[in-house]
Amino acid sequence: MTRAGALLAAAIAVLAPVAAGAHEVLHELERDRAISLRAYFADGEVLAYAQYELYSPADPKIPYQKGRTDRSGWLSFVPDVPGKWRVKVVDQTGHGLDLEVDADAALAAPPAQGRSAPAFTTAFVLRPLVGLAAIAAVFGGLVAVYRRKGTRP
Amino acid sequence: MHVPDGFLSPQITIPAYAVWAPLWAWAARRHFGRAAVESLPVIGTLTALAFVIQTIMIPVPGGTSTHLVGVTLLALLYHPLVAFVCESLVLLVQALFFGAGGVTVLGVNALAMGLLGPLAGWLAWKALHRVNGKVAVFVAAYASIQVATLAVAGALGLQHALSPRYFPLPVAVVLPAMLVPSLTAAGLAEGAYTVFALSLLRKANLRGVTLD
Repeated sequence: MTRAGALLAAAIAVLAPVAAGAHEVLHELERDRAISLRAYFADGEVLAYAQYELYSPADPKIPYQKGRTDRSGWLSFVPDVPGKWRVKVVDQTGHGLDLEVDADAALAAPPAQGRSAPAFTTAFVLRPLVGLAAIAAVFGGLVAVYRRKGTRP
Repeated sequence: MHVPDGFLSPQITIPAYAVWAPLWAWAARRHFGRAAVESLPVIGTLTALAFVIQTIMIPVPGGTSTHLVGVTLLALLYHPLVAFVCESLVLLVQALFFGAGGVTVLGVNALAMGLLGPLAGWLAWKALHRVNGKVAVFVAAYASIQVATLAVAGALGLQHALSPRYFPLPVAVVLPAMLVPSLTAAGLAEGAYTVFALSLLRKANLRGVTLD
């Protein structure tokens, strides 16, 4: 090997890992830093594979993140600034939600342990009863007022 | 079927409110005055029933669900504007207690599900009831759901055309996604429910409940 050949071989040996590293995809793993949100209907059915958009408080016009919920209706994001992040989940049938998530509060809270699928809770049963009571109150009140005043105009 | 808060811009919600609010006030004054006191218990019960059945989701293949509306019955028994007033109340309660729909989109939802749907159903019934009573009721309820669905899909499609930031899906995606469950499940269920409920009400022979 000539001197020039030896130098070239040495240069390749030094630079090859760097060149290879330019295309290498690295990763960083952090736990309990992301905020996860699950979208589901009142009866517990999840919005699986629903389209969503996420807006950072730093730029409320251009989505910070776009994608689809997973099979279980979850989406996750890692906030890079504190404040209220806007999440919009859109089902093809026009259902969905549009809400703000407080990144400060979510990051300060301890990670949820063993959280399971949404289930039928007391609120799930009570809320329809509250709704029924409200409708009954409107019509009952109207009848009571009319009966008190007399039905003649 | 409800459009949620945040999916429609003020360009649509404000004109919808401008139509809905005076129409609601006029309809309430016209149909819920003292002369209606005898009908109010039945109307109230049917409104509560509509509220309940709108909370029951019917699973549809493809990972979504649909639900009945249930106010065509009120349109056929009393008047489409009675259905409009009652459905508006149902939507308000749902927005306040359930987070279903929303206050900003109340005008749009009420006009679609409370007015256009029941009005179409009532017109279909008017056209067919002399041919066959039960078929006319079924077709009326079926048509009511389809028209309400079309109106909601139209509002969402219009929003996408005006500003996709509010609603990112085009009408070409939303329309079939909403109409297929509506045509194959919700419409049929609404028709069956309306025919069944009407036959029960007839048997009960309640005062003020007639369908000529």
